[in-house]
Amino acid sequence: MTLSLEQRVEILADSAKYDVSCSSGGSNRKGVTGGIGSTRPSGICHTWTADGRCISLLKILLTNSCIYDCAYCVNRRSNPILRTALTPDEIVKLTMDFYCRNYIEGLFLSTGVIQSANHTMEQLIRVVRKLRVEERFNGYIHLKIVPGADAVLIEEAGRHADRVSINIELPSRQSLQLLAPDKPRESVIGPMRQLSSLIETARQEHKHSSKAPRFAPAGQSTQLIVGATPENDREIITLSEGLYQRLGMKRVYYSAFVPVSSDQRLPALSTPPLLREHRLYQADWLLRFYGFSSHELLDEAHPNLDMRFDPKTDWALRHLEHFPVEVNRADYPVLLRVPGIGVRSAQRIVQARRTSRLGEEKLKRLGVVLKRARYFVTAGDRYLGGIRLDGPQLLARLMAPTRRKASLDQLELFPAEADISAVTGEL
Amino acid sequence: MQQYRYDGSFEGFLCALSRCLANGIEAVEFLPDTTVSETGLFQDLMVDVATDRKSAIDFRERFVAAVSTEAFAMLRYAFHSEHHGVELQLWNYVRLGLKAGPKLCSMMADKRVNSVERLARSVAREVHKYKGFVRFREVERGFLYARIEPEADILCFLAPHFVQRIGDRPWMIHDLRRSTAAVYDLATWRMLRDIALAEAPGYTDAERECSGLWQRYFQRHAIEARHNPKLQQKHVPLRSRKHMVEFEHS
Repeated sequence: MTLSLEQRVEILADSAKYDVSCSSGGSNRKGVTGGIGSTRPSGICHTWTADGRCISLLKILLTNSCIYDCAYCVNRRSNPILRTALTPDEIVKLTMDFYCRNYIEGLFLSTGVIQSANHTMEQLIRVVRKLRVEERFNGYIHLKIVPGADAVLIEEAGRHADRVSINIELPSRQSLQLLAPDKPRESVIGPMRQLSSLIETARQEHKHSSKAPRFAPAGQSTQLIVGATPENDREIITLSEGLYQRLGMKRVYYSAFVPVSSDQRLPALSTPPLLREHRLYQADWLLRFYGFSSHELLDEAHPNLDMRFDPKTDWALRHLEHFPVEVNRADYPVLLRVPGIGVRSAQRIVQARRTSRLGEEKLKRLGVVLKRARYFVTAGDRYLGGIRLDGPQLLARLMAPTRRKASLDQLELFPAEADISAVTGEL
Repeated sequence: MQQYRYDGSFEGFLCALSRCLANGIEAVEFLPDTTVSETGLFQDLMVDVATDRKSAIDFRERFVAAVSTEAFAMLRYAFHSEHHGVELQLWNYVRLGLKAGPKLCSMMADKRVNSVERLARSVAREVHKYKGFVRFREVERGFLYARIEPEADILCFLAPHFVQRIGDRPWMIHDLRRSTAAVYDLATWRMLRDIALAEAPGYTDAERECSGLWQRYFQRHAIEARHNPKLQQKHVPLRSRKHMVEFEHS
């Protein structure tokens, strides 16, 4: 049976959609005169699908055939789905056609593993080389690294791509062994280490000479599945912290487990654990932008994130001795620890108090949302909470139903502030 | 009360500001050329300001030197919000800026600064959104045409972005709401005013094929188990879907 291009695109989009990375930022490349493509540090979302996730890259597989049989994966060998492939030329044409119509920021190319890790990696590289060299495509490319691929191939991949990623998939060695017996942990961590040192070297060289060749300027990321295996949040967040600190990982993505098979090794979930995923992202942000470390958020007595509060509020409730803080005097890192005050608000407070003493009115005018913050601050030495901080009311007030905060947008302001958007909430 | 009539453009407005400062009268009113003066009573007080590139540039340099580039960007973005009464707000902002100097932008808790900053931010946000939302269609072999209907007058911010990005073929972005268009001819881009198409543009075969592929891709990319149209609508409000290929027929 031959499938039309439309049908193949549908099948391969279906197979690719569980990769959650959508970032198109972190790389800043101007267009070349008369050429096609540029990248912006903030990244740009082009549209949102019916599940509320953004599309910024054409996320597609070269093929959904796979020799592996990972229990959690929709493309596992034993899954009776239609298998198909796109040719490198077809992917190149799709990318160029979509890009010039401004549907996308670039390409996110992944694939099932065919024949061997090296053979598969070579196929991926062929596509991006064609895009970069023959079509002179200057837009964003996110390229998947195949676990176990040769160091030489990995090195070439990073020369063409803006971002590279290799998915760790499961938080522990045991779980990986159970659900993905073909992918030993080493085949994932090894390439991650190699990428990390290549990225760092290239970055150093680039500092000395702007002509030095780039290597994955937007860094590397990874993804793990939440809820398919028994690890607690503490294990997950500690793992992420290690990846950020030791491997210079740009992002760790968390993917609420969506049951894609009835394999007996997997739990039967009626809905994906979306709230838990959300809390993990919040904790992840606290690690990267708010100066928290994992042991402050979670410990042995308290190994899972509280589903009722965001992790910062949860931390503050356990550390009331630090509060309230005075917004006109508190240092920036202290402001960052106030529930409800984000990076942008903290920066605005610090900037605005240079020229004016801040009271409640002025805080509001600055755009600081006081819904939660009011219980933890004084403004002009006046406590804004109106209740006893150590009394029983605090919990009740904080638990009152709140609208979900609107901080998940990607914002871009003026050139002077362009980098902020990556800090305030790029998802 | 001194009235200044200018041509409605940003350059024209800068020229008007420059005249205001020179005249030294604080109580002023700005009239874009499109508004017709209601009575002849105050004709004597009306000054017609000619748009002159050099005096606009001089004003910018003066303001940037006295305050900052950031403050000028604020002024420029806020002006393009086309918000009712924005000119007066900006006049107050400029006067305050020339008095306060480089610290103007950190005076965000001041009403005069805050109101301008809010407008500027909303325009900047819309510009950023539209860098993603513009949808080009091939209407003739190799020529791309896009329609937009944004809240603010953002074409002058969008065009340079697309010049950087799609430099290998000519294109045009048409703001239907304002009858303006940014046109790129492989060398440079220009702004055209009072644009109306004689007839709806026809699409090439390649265009129909490509947009069809995109629609199918878009449909299939959503994960059923995470269905959340409310979240989708928060990010892509219905009003911005009108000219987006993937939302046609749905």
